[in-house]
Amino acid sequence: MLRCAPVKRFRRLFIANRGEVAARIARTCDRLGVTPVFGVSQADLAAPYLRDRESVMLGPSRSSESYLARERIVQAAVQTRCSALHPGWGFLAEDPRFAALCQAHGITFIGPPPAVMQRLGRKTPAKTAMASAGLKLIPGSDGVLRDAEEARAVADRVGYPVLLKAESGGGGRGMRAVRAAAEVKGAYEAAHAESTAAFGDGRLYLEKLIEGGRHVEIQLLADRYGQVVHLGERDCSVQRNHQKLIEESPAIVLSDAERAQTLEAAVAATRSIGYVGAGTMEFLLDDQGELRFMEMNARLQVEHPVTEMRARLDLVEAQIRIAAGEPLWFSQSDVDLRGHAIECRINAEDPSDGFAPSPGVIAEWQVPAADGNVRVDTHVEPGYEVPPHYDSLVCKVIAWGTSRDEACDRMTEALQGIRCDGISTTIPMHIAVLGSEAFRANRYDTRAVPGWEA
Amino acid sequence: MPHVPLVPIGHPRESVVDRPTYDRELASHAPLVARLEERRAEAHAGWGDKYVARVHEKDKLTTRERLERLKDDDTDMFEVGTFVNHGIEYDGLRSPAAGVITAFVRIESRWCIVIANDNTVASGAWWPRTPEKIQRAQEMARRLRLPTLYLVDCSGLYLPQQSKSFAGARGAGHIFKMNSLLSAEGVPQIAGVFGDCIAGGGYMPIISDRVYMTEQAYMVIAGAALIKGAKSQHITSLDIGGPEVHVHQSGCADERVPDDVTLIECLRREVSRLPTSAASFYRGGVEPVEPAHSPAELPGLLPVDHRQAYDAAEILARLCDQSLFWEVLPSVGREMICGIARVGGLYAGFVLNRQGLIDDPEARDHQRPGGILYRQGIAKISEFSRACNSDGIPLIWLQDISGFDIGAEAERHGLLAYGSNLIYTNSTNETPMFTVLLRKASGAGYYAMAGLPYDPVVQLSTPISRLSVMEGRTLAIASYNSKLDDNFEIVSSDSEERARIAASMAEVEARIEADMDPYVAARQMDTDEIIRLDELRAWLVTLVEMSYQGIGYRRVKNPRIWSLHDLDVLTHGGRA
Repeated sequence: MLRCAPVKRFRRLFIANRGEVAARIARTCDRLGVTPVFGVSQADLAAPYLRDRESVMLGPSRSSESYLARERIVQAAVQTRCSALHPGWGFLAEDPRFAALCQAHGITFIGPPPAVMQRLGRKTPAKTAMASAGLKLIPGSDGVLRDAEEARAVADRVGYPVLLKAESGGGGRGMRAVRAAAEVKGAYEAAHAESTAAFGDGRLYLEKLIEGGRHVEIQLLADRYGQVVHLGERDCSVQRNHQKLIEESPAIVLSDAERAQTLEAAVAATRSIGYVGAGTMEFLLDDQGELRFMEMNARLQVEHPVTEMRARLDLVEAQIRIAAGEPLWFSQSDVDLRGHAIECRINAEDPSDGFAPSPGVIAEWQVPAADGNVRVDTHVEPGYEVPPHYDSLVCKVIAWGTSRDEACDRMTEALQGIRCDGISTTIPMHIAVLGSEAFRANRYDTRAVPGWEA
Repeated sequence: MPHVPLVPIGHPRESVVDRPTYDRELASHAPLVARLEERRAEAHAGWGDKYVARVHEKDKLTTRERLERLKDDDTDMFEVGTFVNHGIEYDGLRSPAAGVITAFVRIESRWCIVIANDNTVASGAWWPRTPEKIQRAQEMARRLRLPTLYLVDCSGLYLPQQSKSFAGARGAGHIFKMNSLLSAEGVPQIAGVFGDCIAGGGYMPIISDRVYMTEQAYMVIAGAALIKGAKSQHITSLDIGGPEVHVHQSGCADERVPDDVTLIECLRREVSRLPTSAASFYRGGVEPVEPAHSPAELPGLLPVDHRQAYDAAEILARLCDQSLFWEVLPSVGREMICGIARVGGLYAGFVLNRQGLIDDPEARDHQRPGGILYRQGIAKISEFSRACNSDGIPLIWLQDISGFDIGAEAERHGLLAYGSNLIYTNSTNETPMFTVLLRKASGAGYYAMAGLPYDPVVQLSTPISRLSVMEGRTLAIASYNSKLDDNFEIVSSDSEERARIAASMAEVEARIEADMDPYVAARQMDTDEIIRLDELRAWLVTLVEMSYQGIGYRRVKNPRIWSLHDLDVLTHGGRA
């Protein structure tokens, strides 16, 4: 086990998030003897995970005035005398300005330093750093493009189809797929105009468009003193519109050589950029079986429990201890990744109706009891109302087995044991996927959900 | 509470001005920026390709090629004095940049100042104002204690104009006094002699700590021509004062090297032996981060028309790291903004003028225009300036100022005295101050906000700077006051007289307008450099970093013991 006895650290920790992740962070706080303080919006005031907890109302339900209101959150953390702040995922988790604001007001932000986060947010510097540390990139332009002509030349070189992307972009804005040389100029101009308008930065870069690859990511952990370990990889290729639905580890599509080489390079790259805390590097596995770096997420991932199950390590605990200045208390050789773990994200959506949101009151709610092999992460209780304002994650089920099949079977059994009434959930889809030949035989990619047509 | 309580400022461009307004402003800036680029290119070209070829024929590098090799790869040079002598001819000859390049250059990760005779302009001769320009760069080096490098390649004073730059307090000889002061104050000086080094040019390198010569270099009190005239001896300058003489016999130089390229490498190696920059220590583990709102947007947010108001906080947001700022004394003297931000990871103080209408603290429900100094604002920036000086924080003055408030109330308030207090403070400050004439720099406002007469280390102008005692229109009205009514209309009904007065007023206005041209200020050294607004952030990052580079000579307090915190607690009661 990679745990050690609790040592002196932050007494009070502010949780600047909501729902499942807020409850998840609080569980670790309880175990470490740290008092969590929740920042909540009006919509979440009555949420069950806040019962008998300290909380501060941040503002109205709209996240721009609550979970995204930087100054209000920092003020709340200062006033409640918290010494650290966990941003969870989403909202402000990857906002370097928020991290700097926390720092300026004496609150330890649990995440990497603002400058590192900023660099990872910009595409070209991040990629340059990764390439020089030995990671393979998706073929494309060497940094930002000068003009449409250069875009055309690069596209001709790497081969169509290609993707034009905004240097300061995100969320698909300023992005254009180009399938033929004649389309480059028009697409360049459109993407340039769109990203100028959206980000105040019209610079573009170009990548070969890899369609239907597999999404593989590596979990990393770095302390403040240059020690870095990886905790293996995860395969997150069951996706719908870039939204991950099922994640598992190990990624069985990966060759041992490619896995070992990439894990090693990822550790070196993490060290070279001065990363601190838990982070995830995302790769695309192309049809040659090679992992190509896409981006690094400077935060805890939704699917982190998959890694926790295999490594028997609490990643939130690790984040907190690293933020408190503790050196990593184990080395790479101590990391023993066992068996196979899989996670299903249960959303309040109707999978048979195009995944339409399904907010409302969960009248009945019962989940199987957790044991060493099945874990259920949720903030939901009977009578909980899923608010329409935020993302629709209600629960995550994680199953472990000595083999992939064993883990999948346990997962199916656990999902079948969930009783949920009042809202539609994605459980039926998960059961179908787990039972499908395509999923079990590992024949699918990110374009379509295996075993589910809807 | 010793934390520096920075908070986010500024907004995305689209919520500050709409697209058409923004585009219109960019379009108004465009010709001014094009003119700047054109004039820069002109100065950089020296006397042109013919003279570049002449240098190459001698197996030498041009001065710009030397600088390119001298600086660290992937860094930018920051030149000052590019437009000195711009548009002035002596005996029909141009002297671009006064024939000497002075620039902040990063060498082996240390900021240095480089003073380099331009060997494509009259073989690096000293023109009128060349000595003053060199001394100005030496003064910048002295104030910031920057290693100073001389790339000497100078045929001596341009003799037909010798009377303009020989004898005065800032005559050529004062360069050697500055050499001496730098040496006395422990600022490292390194000289590389690349060619001619006659008379004055001969003295300039000698006081340097290390002197290198190439095999083409010589240093002489008088060159071959003069020796021939005075002593009828036929002897080359190289024989009189080449490396054979100065390295081995006289000891006036330390090392001889075969050529320009080797000499540049030696200069870099010398700099690498100096202490490394303390800047990263003073950053306290905080790396530089770009502003959250892009500095590239600045030209679209600062209207060319000096009568148009804008939100000064939006300008500031595009200069500070991550657009985070701590406004000090925010509730008094609202016409002024002062406070602290990180710039390139290092703390710097900012003072700037709020524009548009501002509540008048003296009269309820009354507003008065910003961009003017009133009593509270003056007192506030005096106190802020004193505190920054006490704390060792570099201070950046961003001017867009019409002047002091005037009139009976202003005099009753004693603005003369409050202004003098500010003048005294700025005059006696030892912390480095940098002044930027964003737009208007008028009258005593220019003085009060640390204009060049108050010795900022560097003063920058922009393509829209307007430096003057007063606006042309104001002077025209003042001059023809007796002929105008209360609405500044001409009283006379005689059409001929009206036309005459109108024409004279227009002439006064046009003359002042022409004099406000930033190139006029730059050519006569009333400002150090003209830069594009979108270059300002990079300049400030460099200037602030240079202020923190040296160690152990200036009091740089850590934020825990800033007097600014005392100011804050006394006015706000401090935070929780």
